[in-house]
Amino acid sequence: MNDITNMKKFYSLLYPDWNSAIDQLLANYLIYGPIKTDDSIDYEIVHSENIAEVSYNIPKPTTPLKTFFLPVKENLTTKISSISKRIIIGTPNCDIQGLKILDEIYLDKDYIDTAYKEKRENTILISSSCFETQEHCHCMIYGIQPFSKEIADISISRVDTRMHLEVLSEKGENFISELKNYAAVSNSPESEIKDIELKQSKIENEIIANNSGLPDYKKTGKIVQKAKEEIWNKYSSKCVSCGACATICPTCSCFLLIDKPNFEKVRQLDTCQYPGFERVAGGEDALGELPKKFKNRYFCKYVWKPQKFKSLVCTGCGRCIEACIGKINKNELFRELAN
Amino acid sequence: MSENKNIYKPIKAKLLEVITESPTIKTFIMEPEEEFSFKTGEFIELTVDGIGEAPFTPSSSPLETKQIEVTVMKTGYVTEYLHNMKAGETLGIRGPFGRGYPIEKFYDKEVLILGGGCGFAPIRSLLYNLVAISDKLRKVTLCYGSKTPDECIYQPYVDQLRKTPKFEVLRTVDEPNESWSESVGVATVLLDKVKVDIKNSIAVCCGPPIMMKFGTYKLLEMGYPENDIFLSMEKNMSCGLGKCGHCMMGKYFVCKEGPVFTYDEIKDQPDIWS
Repeated sequence: MNDITNMKKFYSLLYPDWNSAIDQLLANYLIYGPIKTDDSIDYEIVHSENIAEVSYNIPKPTTPLKTFFLPVKENLTTKISSISKRIIIGTPNCDIQGLKILDEIYLDKDYIDTAYKEKRENTILISSSCFETQEHCHCMIYGIQPFSKEIADISISRVDTRMHLEVLSEKGENFISELKNYAAVSNSPESEIKDIELKQSKIENEIIANNSGLPDYKKTGKIVQKAKEEIWNKYSSKCVSCGACATICPTCSCFLLIDKPNFEKVRQLDTCQYPGFERVAGGEDALGELPKKFKNRYFCKYVWKPQKFKSLVCTGCGRCIEACIGKINKNELFRELAN
Repeated sequence: MSENKNIYKPIKAKLLEVITESPTIKTFIMEPEEEFSFKTGEFIELTVDGIGEAPFTPSSSPLETKQIEVTVMKTGYVTEYLHNMKAGETLGIRGPFGRGYPIEKFYDKEVLILGGGCGFAPIRSLLYNLVAISDKLRKVTLCYGSKTPDECIYQPYVDQLRKTPKFEVLRTVDEPNESWSESVGVATVLLDKVKVDIKNSIAVCCGPPIMMKFGTYKLLEMGYPENDIFLSMEKNMSCGLGKCGHCMMGKYFVCKEGPVFTYDEIKDQPDIWS
């Protein structure tokens, strides 16, 4: 995961050659990529027949990247099989940036979570630059660009008939070496790199324009702290504690430990939006009332974790807004309070 | 810590003896199958196999490394199962976790301890430790409150402490019976009776949230500086590793940065008393 700090390294190959290389890499890796269906786009397991369906340079898939490293449910004490090597293609930078906080928590040197660590180490992350944006994308407002420069191993862009791979890490460098066994790889021409950069900056401007007036991450914490109880009561009045916002969030990573016979421990993703999250024996529950529960998530993301960790705890992906069945829009809340 | 250690896997511990302390409180004496030690005030996660896991601060001496004791009030799902367990059965232990009492800060000081109910459990561990280093301390006063005389736990240990130089024990109950000869009222009433040189003293508080709250206010009123009041906080500590999020108290993971905090550290965090 060491970043390469020297100058940009762009490699290029023809799209059909890339696809055929992927087909050959399938012998060594489990590969995932975003594939469109009628009403959504999400990660699917890539196999010989669907390689051409993998989408590039599109905004976020439905499922956040975190689920590859923190599955919904996982036995932490019994090793069922060794983790296979994986390649995840097409992750937008909002999700890549979401891994930073997970790394801080799960790779905390005091208590390294080996289940998480193994998955991180065994995964090659091929991020893709966003050349489109969706209604609720607002990464730029939180200082996150719609293309990766770190954390991922490769940043991929498709321009016409060519794929361009920018190397971001040592693991990415090794991937290029492996790729060269299967395809003719050359350096990207300067003109096409410029073309990619133009597309990237166009999207940056578009995201900024789409979100004018939305307070940035420096202001969100103060806004949350100053918000009166009426605000939490008002916005939580439409909340049904379904937990969709947290489940689909790339950075919400709380979990429940479930006991199984023979002292086995199973981790199941959990959220403060579910009942009883902070309940202690005897029944005291600091988050017993719905507005408190609702408010807790905002404080966690915009006040407490920023005081504690270096990484952002909201990457502006907008999934929580899309997933909310009560149509609660956190950006509306921030806009209302910013004025 | 080894990078490959499984932080979620408990070590097994044989239950050697179960002592009934009160109608709702029992002490479980265990012998871990692997080497296990803790500092006073740190906590462990105790697993009842296949049932669940719950956090307890050991009530035994941190200087005793072969056996470990926890004192448990029957209040919930896991503790109900635990209370039905018998000597010879096997439990699981993870830990120790968190930050315990900073004993070295107590040197050359008077230590005033306010405890209530099952909060005596971590305090007993602390007292064992303080007795062992009593030459370094000026005085130790325990103010302990419980609901009824029946629920006053650790009677033999209280008798022993009362005979220990430099140690004093004051007790109170909410509902006395005919044979009760000590104080009556909530635990904080005892603070009116203690003579303490506040400038050369630190205070420790551990018990039910309501007692912690009013105990802390009383200690502040007595003149204790906020950073000389050490509170043993109770939250829903689950993983013990600062990961699962259940014990967040504002910016703190109580399991990792606590459970012992000074009042100064936590006074601005939300819901500290619930």
